[in-house]
Amino acid sequence: MSQIIIQGLLLSGLYALIAVGFTLIFSIGRVLNLAYGAYLMIGGYVYYHFTQVLGLPQIAGILMAAIFGCVIGILKYRLIVKTLKGDHVAVEISTLILAVVIQAGIVLVFNDSSKILHPIVPGVWRIGGATVTFNILTAALASWAILIGLYLFVRNTHIGRAMQAVSMDVKGAAISGVDPDRINLITWGISGALGAVAGVFFASYTQLSPSMWVAPLIIAVAVVIVGGIGSIIGSLIVAHIIGFMEIISTTLIAAELRGVFTMLLIIGVLVMRPRGLFGREEL
Amino acid sequence: MAFLEIEGLSAYYGKARALHNVDIAVEKGEIVAVVGANGAGKSTLLDSIMGLTAIKGDIRLGGESLAGLSSRAIVEQGVGYAPERFNLFPYMSVFDNLMVGAFTARDEADRNLQHVFDLFPRLAERRSQETYTQSGGERQMVSLGRALMTGPRLLLVDEPTIGLAPKVCHDIAESLRRLNGETGLTIVITEQNANFAMSLASHLHILETGELKMSGTADELGSDEELNKAYFGH
Ligand SMILES: Nc1ncnc2c1ncn2[C@@H]1O[C@H](COP(=O)(O)OP(=O)(O)OP(=O)(O)O)[C@@H](O)[C@H]1O
Ligand SMILES: [Mg+2]
Repeated sequence: MSQIIIQGLLLSGLYALIAVGFTLIFSIGRVLNLAYGAYLMIGGYVYYHFTQVLGLPQIAGILMAAIFGCVIGILKYRLIVKTLKGDHVAVEISTLILAVVIQAGIVLVFNDSSKILHPIVPGVWRIGGATVTFNILTAALASWAILIGLYLFVRNTHIGRAMQAVSMDVKGAAISGVDPDRINLITWGISGALGAVAGVFFASYTQLSPSMWVAPLIIAVAVVIVGGIGSIIGSLIVAHIIGFMEIISTTLIAAELRGVFTMLLIIGVLVMRPRGLFGREEL
Repeated sequence: MAFLEIEGLSAYYGKARALHNVDIAVEKGEIVAVVGANGAGKSTLLDSIMGLTAIKGDIRLGGESLAGLSSRAIVEQGVGYAPERFNLFPYMSVFDNLMVGAFTARDEADRNLQHVFDLFPRLAERRSQETYTQSGGERQMVSLGRALMTGPRLLLVDEPTIGLAPKVCHDIAESLRRLNGETGLTIVITEQNANFAMSLASHLHILETGELKMSGTADELGSDEELNKAYFGH
């Protein structure tokens, strides 16, 4: 029991981090970035390359992952999203294509066998009957630190307020001297960096493989759809619902069920409450 | 040379032309009203000054052309805008809405905020309220306040009194008069109600289906018979 609670809490923290970059883009740019899972994959592979191939320290690996993710987010906005401005279907299809292209690129560079990342922090911790790897503990703590940092940034800085403003009223933002295009660019950069860092932790929890972008994408989509747009707290709660659902189903029923309940939850909410459990009315 | 010079301005939505060859000059420290019926092009005119529409012709502020600049650059040039539907950020507090207005004027944010709270004490009381829960009058104050947070030399207000109770209209008019009187701020408002416009503005411009029909002081226009019938209801 305590195993389930602890594992559930830790996994949920990681899931919240996975979802937040995706939620950000959806709330501010109104784009379902289906290439988001690929940011996580890139983050994982960049980390692998710099730490396990080149032998750099872990923190440098995480930093490089963040930089790569940020650059890819910015390029994607500039080259695809902005060019196709307003055409949501075209943007979403091209983001999905981009994910597949990135997957092919990864196979080309790293081949298609899966790889195990060394734990970011090795060791285990036993409390009560439960064992917790330092790795997932680090991932969860780092996730919480990043989420709190992001929350404070969005609430209290000029750029963060401008991001909220653009998400609520583009014209209102523009006449206040905010350049919505620049804010979108910044948001895509932040989202890419967040995704890539989440990818490092996710890959260290599971493994690296060229198809690893699908599972986190489903988690992120689920958090947005179930949580609804514009609610950071709602996203956190949903990340916990999904995290616990997954731990409970995989430990008590069968490991093969990983992800299945998440997808059922997406469909259930789409049918019964399209706005999401915590979403605001569309503006 | 006037402070704000609008010269041969035409504005387009796609191929449709919403303004045709409009000339307006506004002197520094003046309150000027643009009067017109629904669809005359009042909002289009203010949007055009703000860089939000496709235009031909020129718009100059203090001699510098605004045509072709981004809205952000126009805000930095000193134009503040309180638009018709306010375009507030509904799930942000009054304070945060105002602070977004300070985006390009961060160094003066404290001073401008104090100024806004002096002008609208109600906003100071309600600084944590999210604006989607506010009344129309309060939203108009937030909208004006946000425009003032940009530190404008020219304030554009689109139909300041539309949908507001007479008492609130009076208060808003009083605030605009105070702003103009105390800080010498140049103000351009639009109105459907010519009588209200007349009570506030020194010069009026009558807009009809995208064209400037007539311009003049309140006295000049008040004695025009045809105009009286159409806009003043007597
Ligand atoms: N976004 C738009 N796309 C196409 N046409 C528009 C758009 N906005 C306004 N128009 C058209 O431009 C003309 C002028 O509209 P505008 O909103 O400027 O009038 P207005 O004087 O502000 O009217 P109101 O008093 O109702 O606010 C109208 O014919 C309107 O249909
Ligand atoms: Mg209008």
